[in-house]
Amino acid sequence: MKRSAGWIAAVYFVAMAVAITFPGIRPFNTIRPFVFGIPFVFAWVLAWVLGSLVIFVMLYRTYSK
Amino acid sequence: MTSWQIVVAVVAVYLVTNLVVGLLPGSRSSDTVAGYVAGDREFGTLVMYFVTGASVFSAFAFLGGPGWAFSRGAAAFYILGYGVLGMAPYFALGPWAARLGRKHGYVTQGAMLAHRFQSPWVAFTAGIVSVIAIIPYVALQMRGAGIVLEQVTDGHVPLPLGAAIAYGVVLIYVWRSGVMGVGWTNVFQGVLMIGIAWAFGIYIPMKLYGGVGPMFEALAAARPEMLTAPGLDASGNPWTPVAYSSAVLVSSLGLMMWPHLFMKAFAAKDDATIRRTIMLFPTFQIFLLPLFLVGFAGVLYASAPSNPDAIMPHIMLTSGLPAIVVGIFCAGALAASMSTGDALVHGAASIAVTDVYGAASGTSLSQHDQRRLIRWLAVAVGVVAYAIALPSGLSLVGMLLAAYGAIVQLAPPVYAAFLWRRATARGVVGGLLAGTSVTGFLVIWPQWRPFGLHEGLVGLAVNIATLVLVSLGTQPPATQHVADWIATSRNRINQPS
Repeated sequence: MKRSAGWIAAVYFVAMAVAITFPGIRPFNTIRPFVFGIPFVFAWVLAWVLGSLVIFVMLYRTYSK
Repeated sequence: MTSWQIVVAVVAVYLVTNLVVGLLPGSRSSDTVAGYVAGDREFGTLVMYFVTGASVFSAFAFLGGPGWAFSRGAAAFYILGYGVLGMAPYFALGPWAARLGRKHGYVTQGAMLAHRFQSPWVAFTAGIVSVIAIIPYVALQMRGAGIVLEQVTDGHVPLPLGAAIAYGVVLIYVWRSGVMGVGWTNVFQGVLMIGIAWAFGIYIPMKLYGGVGPMFEALAAARPEMLTAPGLDASGNPWTPVAYSSAVLVSSLGLMMWPHLFMKAFAAKDDATIRRTIMLFPTFQIFLLPLFLVGFAGVLYASAPSNPDAIMPHIMLTSGLPAIVVGIFCAGALAASMSTGDALVHGAASIAVTDVYGAASGTSLSQHDQRRLIRWLAVAVGVVAYAIALPSGLSLVGMLLAAYGAIVQLAPPVYAAFLWRRATARGVVGGLLAGTSVTGFLVIWPQWRPFGLHEGLVGLAVNIATLVLVSLGTQPPATQHVADWIATSRNRINQPS
């Protein structure tokens, strides 16, 4: 259980590092469509930050059992 | 009262409150090094959350964040990205270090490395690198505080005086309360800076453009190059994807290597507190969003400040806000500067005494004397940083990136300690020296950077290569000691082999 949670988190953060740097960011590096009034690529980076909150909550719950 | 006097009055109320919050917990910790440096290992989640968050978000975030969005557009997204990436490994490293700290009594990461590698020179080298990286970082915070006060008082409180007052307050509560003062003031400062950032981040785009959406519509029409990564460089030309990406990587790898952050593992009450702090960290990171919004609001603003880092105070002062609001903003900016500066001053002094002085002198001072020496060194760090902060024309963002280049060199020793049993003291010291020298060389002669990579990343590669080669070429470390050490970190009881 802890091991798989750790792996999911590791995969998420590696994917995040790829997705918010070059060249991984390239397909998402556009201004439109706006998301909640902010440019798409800005929202893209923000979404990865918010997603990390979900991953951390999952990790914390697994490890506090 | 004229408006600058009202601003000064609001700031004075903030500084006095801060001082009281910082002095109160002083009598609660024991008269030992563990009490002064690690709060007797009693930090709960509330304090840990704000210590971590407020120490990461400094004057650089509060002024530099909007400054980057304003002058370099999407380049600022790198700041948004690296925070959680840097924090993530600490979910494992933090509890590992904390368990070892409880068992062996470490209060610094240098002491931890010295014990693992059985050599005080590891602590000595890591300590020197840390102090070299920390001092310009403190200078940057002081300058940030000074710039804000000078701007909002129309020059009535000049930069040197403003920086001296703000950091005088910091030194008083660090002297008296050590890490407890840092912890509780960071709770106060953190609440203040987050509240103020959100209030202004929503209000300014509303007032100037009628909302966040209309603001970006206007920007997309007028300056589309600012809204996609990698944005612009400092002189307004397109930034390169390599520079953007390596800035994210170096900052991610370096973030938790900052001693003032890493050391807080030794202050946490238990493992769950560390994990909860990391779980909640993205909520702190999101506070960059309103700061960026203010910066973007400045792009099409009628006038521009001479220094992009002053965009936030510039908008505050010229958009007709009442003086009391400007004063509150100023308190928020000072809180951002001081909440990082206090942890840095305290961290550098603790390292200089326990790691550098301890290894060089070979003598062990009494707990009481060590504690006293740390206090005096905190004052010394403050004075040296102040001397660096004063000359004008220094690029603060450049200084921060250079400091990151130095601090990221601690990553290979820390990871090797936990993950590579064959790593030796000579390998670690050699790697640190080689990596730091290469980084320093590339800071001074940037034209030698391969492919425009961040100098810290090049230094890191040299560091890792040296660590591996020298370790393999030197005598292996004592197997049982390393096995016990790693078993303690993982909370396993080691079977004698």
